[in-house]
Amino acid sequence: MPAGHRHEGAYRRLMLSSMAAMLASIAVCVSATSEPATVTEAFVTNQTGDSLTVVSLADMKPVAEIAIGGKPAGIAMSADGKFAYLTSPESKELVVVDAGVRQVANRFKVGEAPLGIAAHPTNGRVYVADWFTHKISVVDPAAGKVVAEIAVGDSPSGLAVTPDGKLLLSADRDSDAVSIIDVAKNVRTATVSVGKRPFGITIDAAGMRAYTANVASDDVSIIDVASGKLIGTVPVGHRPYAVALAGQHAYVTNQYASTLSVIDIGSLKVVQTIPVGDHPEGIAVDPAGANVYVACWFDNVLMRIDTAKMAVTGEAAVGDGPRAFGLFLR
Amino acid sequence: MVRALVLALAALALFPNLASAHGPTRQKATETVEINAPADKVWAVIGNFQDMSWHPAVAKLEGSGGNDTNATRTLTLTSGGTIEEKLLQNDPAKKTYKYEITKVDPKVLPVNNYSSTLSVKGEGDKSTVEWKGAFYRGFMNNDPPPELSDEAAVKAVKGVYRGGLDALKAKVEAGG
Repeated sequence: MPAGHRHEGAYRRLMLSSMAAMLASIAVCVSATSEPATVTEAFVTNQTGDSLTVVSLADMKPVAEIAIGGKPAGIAMSADGKFAYLTSPESKELVVVDAGVRQVANRFKVGEAPLGIAAHPTNGRVYVADWFTHKISVVDPAAGKVVAEIAVGDSPSGLAVTPDGKLLLSADRDSDAVSIIDVAKNVRTATVSVGKRPFGITIDAAGMRAYTANVASDDVSIIDVASGKLIGTVPVGHRPYAVALAGQHAYVTNQYASTLSVIDIGSLKVVQTIPVGDHPEGIAVDPAGANVYVACWFDNVLMRIDTAKMAVTGEAAVGDGPRAFGLFLR
Repeated sequence: MVRALVLALAALALFPNLASAHGPTRQKATETVEINAPADKVWAVIGNFQDMSWHPAVAKLEGSGGNDTNATRTLTLTSGGTIEEKLLQNDPAKKTYKYEITKVDPKVLPVNNYSSTLSVKGEGDKSTVEWKGAFYRGFMNNDPPPELSDEAAVKAVKGVYRGGLDALKAKVEAGG
């Protein structure tokens, strides 16, 4: 065998082993930055009460209330769970809360009417939708400043990032559409027409489908993310607000109906309607999909719904006017 | 309450209603009254969506659809303004109904996106009536004039509820 070939073989082995090492490090990286296996606390924005209530999920008890100001509504948690990012539309601020020590760590102006908010899984950025300027601000929360802006449709509200971190989706409420944004370029690459006045938007764990709650048409739109096509519309209760995904089901908060609609995501049919408190709004699910948690704006409670029983199994008192618009568990 | 409405009317006449926006913070108001009468008797007075004669600020009601979901009614107030409403949910067994305002001039009531629930709970010979609403202020952009603020909206709605509930108590306790 010529020397060159032996060398080539050694080179190939080296390449293969280094590729294996790379793959292993990527796997470690992914598991380190993806959602934690369990969640223990809910961070609930109380808009009327101008505060944030921390609820212990094990016993559904409020364990802290933190003064915020500016009528906080939107919320996102950092990928590591160490920080909660809140939007306060009236003071036009992003408020950074140190989740462990329960204190405001920083606050700074972002746009004219910050509302929807999402944290990127890996790049450290926080995306803030601006109701009045029709842009998404790309925020470096550590530096406390806006580093870029992305033009989208009218009155962007809910935001969600695909689990791979490549795409950002924005529910553009007054355009009746969803914007799909290339995160690397901070540019909108597609627009998908959905129902009327989409508010909350949620992407599944595989990053394949997105679900919008359409406030004015009382339905949920389902989008295929890769193709940017609408693949279904499901009628739900009156004034749907947001969606959470657990296993085979999508749970939708219906503000006026005071219910959750449970959609089978295979058949795209409502299979159950669960009575909850008055004006259910923000909704989030634990990583195992065992429980969803719902902030009931009028009744000032966070409710726990067991997804196996499809019934309310607990509630915690929170501050006045809880909205918890975003992903609020850690 | 009528006085509050008239004041609100005077202030609101100067400003347009920007109903398409959705920027401000949603407000809530709840008022209750205890009545010395069983819940059935109270519900007999307020449970018909097509009858608001128990409210002193309502001069006339014209409606259609009875007490079915999506029934409508137009209230003409003693002050002259009108409010158009739609029945969202009706649950006579639980003695509660929920409705929304589909059209109102902010000169009449300085609110947007208003929904409300009226309900009665009884305990023996006594009952408690609760009237609660969720709404936005009359001025839907940032930085409202004080007359169109959140506070003005809450004050006006609470005035409507208080006036109605106090009159209801007097009417029912006087023998219906």
